[in-house]
Amino acid sequence: MAGLELLSDQGYRLDGRKATELRKVQARMGVFAQADGSAYIEQGNTKALAVVYGPHEVRMSRSKTLHDRAVINCQYSMATFSTAERKRRPHGDRKSTEMSLHLKQTFEAAVLTNLYPRSQIDIYVKILQSDGGNYSACVNAATLAVIDAGIPMRDYVCACTAGFVDETPLADLCHAEESGGGTSLALALLPRGGHIALLQMDARLHQDHLETLMEAAMTACKGVSKVLDQVVRQHLQEVSALTGE
Amino acid sequence: MIKTEKVLHLKSSRGRKVRVVREHYLRELVPCYSSLCQAECANEGKVLSADVTHYVVPDAGVTRDFMEILEFREIQGLVFTQTACQAVQHSRGRRQYNRLRSLLKDPRHDCVLFANEFQEYSYCPREKGEPQDKWQTRCVYQAAVWYHDHLAGLKPVVMITEDQGAVAEYSSLNCGVYVLSTLEYLRTFWPELQAAHELYGSIAQALRERGNEGTEREFAEHLPAEVLEAGIKSGRYTQGTLNVNKHRAQHEAFVRFDGSSNKNSELDSDVLVWGGKNRNRAVHGDMVAVELLPKGEWRGRTTALTEGQGEEKGEESQGQPMPTGRVVGILQRNWRDYVVTFPPREETQSQGRNSLRILATPWDQRIPKIRISTHQADTLQDHRVIVRLDSWDSTSLYPNGHSVRVLGRAGELETEVQTILIENCIHIAPFSEAQLREMPASSPERPWTVDPAEVVTRRDLRDTHLVFSIDPRGCEDVDDTLSVRSLPPGPQGPRLELGVHIADVTHFVKEGTLTDLEARARATTYYLADRRYDMLPAVLSADVCSLLGGVDRYAMSVMWDLDAQTLQVNRVWYGRTLIRSSYQLYYEQAQALLNGEESIEKTMEDHKLSHLIEALETLTQVARHLRAQRDQGGALELEGVEVRAQLDEDKNITALVPRQPLEVHETVAECMIYANHWVARKIQERFPQQALLRHHPPPRQEFFTQLQDSARALGFTIDTRSNKALADSLDQAVDPQDPLVNRLLRVMATQAMSNALYFSTGACPVDQYYHYGLALDRYTHFTSPIRRYADVIVHRLLTAAIAVEEGARPAKASASNKELEEMAQHINNKNRAAQHAQKVSMELFQCLYFRDKDPETAECCDAVIYAIRTNGVLVFIPQYGLKGALYLRNREGQVVRVSQDGRCVWEAGSLQRSLDHVSTTTASGTSTFRLFQHVTVRVSVQTSRCHADTLHLELVSNRAHRAPEPPDRTPRAAPPQGTRGRSQLVQEVVRQAEEALLQAEEKKGRVSELSKEEREFRQSKTPNLYSLLEEVREQALLDLTACGAVGGGPDLGTAARPCATSA
Repeated sequence: MAGLELLSDQGYRLDGRKATELRKVQARMGVFAQADGSAYIEQGNTKALAVVYGPHEVRMSRSKTLHDRAVINCQYSMATFSTAERKRRPHGDRKSTEMSLHLKQTFEAAVLTNLYPRSQIDIYVKILQSDGGNYSACVNAATLAVIDAGIPMRDYVCACTAGFVDETPLADLCHAEESGGGTSLALALLPRGGHIALLQMDARLHQDHLETLMEAAMTACKGVSKVLDQVVRQHLQEVSALTGE
Repeated sequence: MIKTEKVLHLKSSRGRKVRVVREHYLRELVPCYSSLCQAECANEGKVLSADVTHYVVPDAGVTRDFMEILEFREIQGLVFTQTACQAVQHSRGRRQYNRLRSLLKDPRHDCVLFANEFQEYSYCPREKGEPQDKWQTRCVYQAAVWYHDHLAGLKPVVMITEDQGAVAEYSSLNCGVYVLSTLEYLRTFWPELQAAHELYGSIAQALRERGNEGTEREFAEHLPAEVLEAGIKSGRYTQGTLNVNKHRAQHEAFVRFDGSSNKNSELDSDVLVWGGKNRNRAVHGDMVAVELLPKGEWRGRTTALTEGQGEEKGEESQGQPMPTGRVVGILQRNWRDYVVTFPPREETQSQGRNSLRILATPWDQRIPKIRISTHQADTLQDHRVIVRLDSWDSTSLYPNGHSVRVLGRAGELETEVQTILIENCIHIAPFSEAQLREMPASSPERPWTVDPAEVVTRRDLRDTHLVFSIDPRGCEDVDDTLSVRSLPPGPQGPRLELGVHIADVTHFVKEGTLTDLEARARATTYYLADRRYDMLPAVLSADVCSLLGGVDRYAMSVMWDLDAQTLQVNRVWYGRTLIRSSYQLYYEQAQALLNGEESIEKTMEDHKLSHLIEALETLTQVARHLRAQRDQGGALELEGVEVRAQLDEDKNITALVPRQPLEVHETVAECMIYANHWVARKIQERFPQQALLRHHPPPRQEFFTQLQDSARALGFTIDTRSNKALADSLDQAVDPQDPLVNRLLRVMATQAMSNALYFSTGACPVDQYYHYGLALDRYTHFTSPIRRYADVIVHRLLTAAIAVEEGARPAKASASNKELEEMAQHINNKNRAAQHAQKVSMELFQCLYFRDKDPETAECCDAVIYAIRTNGVLVFIPQYGLKGALYLRNREGQVVRVSQDGRCVWEAGSLQRSLDHVSTTTASGTSTFRLFQHVTVRVSVQTSRCHADTLHLELVSNRAHRAPEPPDRTPRAAPPQGTRGRSQLVQEVVRQAEEALLQAEEKKGRVSELSKEEREFRQSKTPNLYSLLEEVREQALLDLTACGAVGGGPDLGTAARPCATSA
């Protein structure tokens, strides 16, 4: 498989999308009753589950308590069955620790933590099926879960990846595209203000292209935010219909 | 807008089967790229035309196997489906896929790609258990149906497939969509397209055979070009030219990198490719990509000498392990015409009766045997035949070829000479009528005369200058003449005018004429041992252009206005002149005049003789000074082995004569180098991007190891860091007992050098213009336009430069850098071929010479050991300028033992090799052979059926050969005492003095101000006459022979004549 053709001459990607098209996003909120907030999201074949507990008093070491705002505790994990080959994923390996940290940073930027001093918010995210864009799926799921938990945020946090192939930015990479060797950039955006909560890229890219790539990723994030907004509204309608208001 | 669907793929990565789930998005709007589209698709770019009778949809199998047919421009209205394209990509690799892509992009070709798998209605998912090709055919059919419906049935759609089942299944399902087999399709729609039918036949045949063959692979497949390219870029593979070792053609080959392409910087040496499997069908000269093997598998080059070929040695003696690799692909085949000989009848029959295929043995040992199918094998026994290679499949041990032309019977002189020419890619036809018609008329009765109109435009030197030429005896094409005279003193003191006048070939050979094109193709005059192939027709080279004595000729001149004392250049004049050469001397004559030999003077008419002698003396002075100047810069004095075959009228060889170096050779050469240098400066200045210069890259240090090792054995150290250091240390390395030592060291140094090359100034950075051997920053060839095409180009450039300076617009734009660089490459190649052909023809005549001798009484001669190998030594025979291998162990494993009286006998024993000697141990004693030891050898000829005959050396005695012949037959060992020796001595001393003077001047330049006393008395400190005389005295005490060896020697011959190795 020497070099899959990631973008055909006619502008199709491997799975039939065009360069700027996102994968199909489907999401549900409130999937678990016992947690304070929960959400499930599918971005193409990447499936993630997010659960939020809190805000509650700090249960970790007391020393971590912050006096002016809440502590956000994130934990990321992948199911053993999430990839093509089953693989045991011990807790706290380097990759998931890094991912946890990224999630924490993202949500510290988005959640209005100063409303809950001396308390803690736990966000647990699990990847059920992985097909590229794990981070963005996690962020999007966690956003929905946080909203479900009723924790105030500045804005939705929407995340999306973007890649760069043949001088063209590709939005929302799938696994084949991510592993194809090109650049991949992950971006978490607060869409309304256009604030960037997190930006991560660990491959080489010419400086001239960074602008266009970020532009593409931000457009994609805005697209995601529209879908999430719809999901939230629909969920609220359902809930309010249930409660009969 | 988007509907999502999922497809299941089964694919393996790293051998394991992995189930991969991919998304697959379908859409309703997929552009159809047809101008008939009713649905207003977003058709951008290339669109199928409407004026065809039908649209064709080839299925995956057809696209994969018969793409060449689909490439016919006649076949129009082609719709390639995405399914078919992907099938090509997966099964045929990137190369074929790229071909398909470029076909799709080609605007002249009426074809489009339809992304059927992304179209909601034409996509059909693969069913459980459905074979892939069935599914692909179904997909394509579905696409064809959709296409037909999409165009609202305006055009019939034909699907072509090789699958007969599909034809039967689908043909009647839909009206308007026809399913045909390829053959049927061609017959129905393109009955007149004969080429396509034939191509179809041959491809189908090949496919069938491929199915039949299916035998085990003899070689690994070559990687596709893109993979190689990517690999070379990433440094995984390395690109280079394959060089097969002549003596171990079966096993050893080396890949030499072309400087720039080598990304892998730690690899500074060649890569060894060992064995036929690793060489993987690459033939000598091919441009290949190699992959390095892991370090554990590296081998050394074989250091043992091999006798003959096909010999298997039990134990392999190897040198240091060196980078070893295998060929993974061939970037550029470099196949040429090969001369082969058919095997004798007995062998032919054993190869199997049913096949007419014969394995022929190429003359060049580096080329593998070639399989040829012919009926003439019997009649062509013992003939040499030209063949061309056609192909080499991975299933075949040998390449396939076909015969082209019969040269003649093997062993005949004419056949052998032709073989040499063909093997060196030299194709020479006689000059054509049309070319000869362009020539000026000249006959013995009505000789060519100068045109009065032309005379006006040229500077007339006929009466003002004493012009003369010095050439080898019997030379016809005189392309350089010299003049020197004193000018009225200028402000700085007396002045000299040195002139070099070169035949004005470009006046007669105008650019673009037939003669010019022919000369360009030949690029040089080819000198073989017994004949010459001229670059220009004889009327030019031997008559009209040749600067013969006593007749008016056009010339291109460079004239220096020099300060008589310091030889500082005041002014240089370049231009076209008219000259009349007063004397046409040959070297020996000129030397005799210089030495003041009276006998010579008497034989010549004397009206200007005193002038001539005076001029010669001045010239010698000037040349010595110039030489000293270059020696300062680090010019090398190198030594080539040169022997001339003396032939009688019937072309039988009477003797092998080494070239005799005279000072006057050097004098002429020095003037020519000077002229070349100044012309190079001129044209480079005027055309900084497109001047043809000649550079000599510094040699690679690792080539000096043999020289350094050999010198170390004698206690000399050779410093090779720069050309100056090398020249100095070579001068130091003199063994007073044996003058040959220095000569051999110089020969080894010469061997380590790379070749000087022509280049275009725009193609090379300025710091690479340097000429290492001559120690000049700019150099070109200007002085021999009759026999070198490069000089013709330089003449044109110089003319253009002069014209520009005079303000005239050049009539034609001179060649661009790119053209010139291509030209330079061409000339370089031809020069290499010419040199090689000359060398091989020399060897041929050496063999003839020794073959005619009686083997029993065969001559014994003196030889010097210059290198040690594990089973023998390499020796140099000064008498014949021969180099060869001397075996100390024969095939039976016996080794040479030297008995008490110096005789040699073969006995069982062992061989021990160390750095500076090799010793044989037998039951009865040990004998040792040291580097630079003199031994006596007997020369005989080893005949070979298929290859060139070779000389065989046999050890007779381990003592120096006491030559019973007159001493002058071995010139270097015992130069005749007397005038020549003395003149050389004088010359040496004078040169040293000149050098010292220059050094002093250099110092003076640094000090800038002379001390007061010095200014007052104008006294130079060194060298004064006293010290000079002292030196003479010291030199005289030394062995004369030693001085002789340091003295002359062929230069990095520039103006040197046919025999000279060209710098």
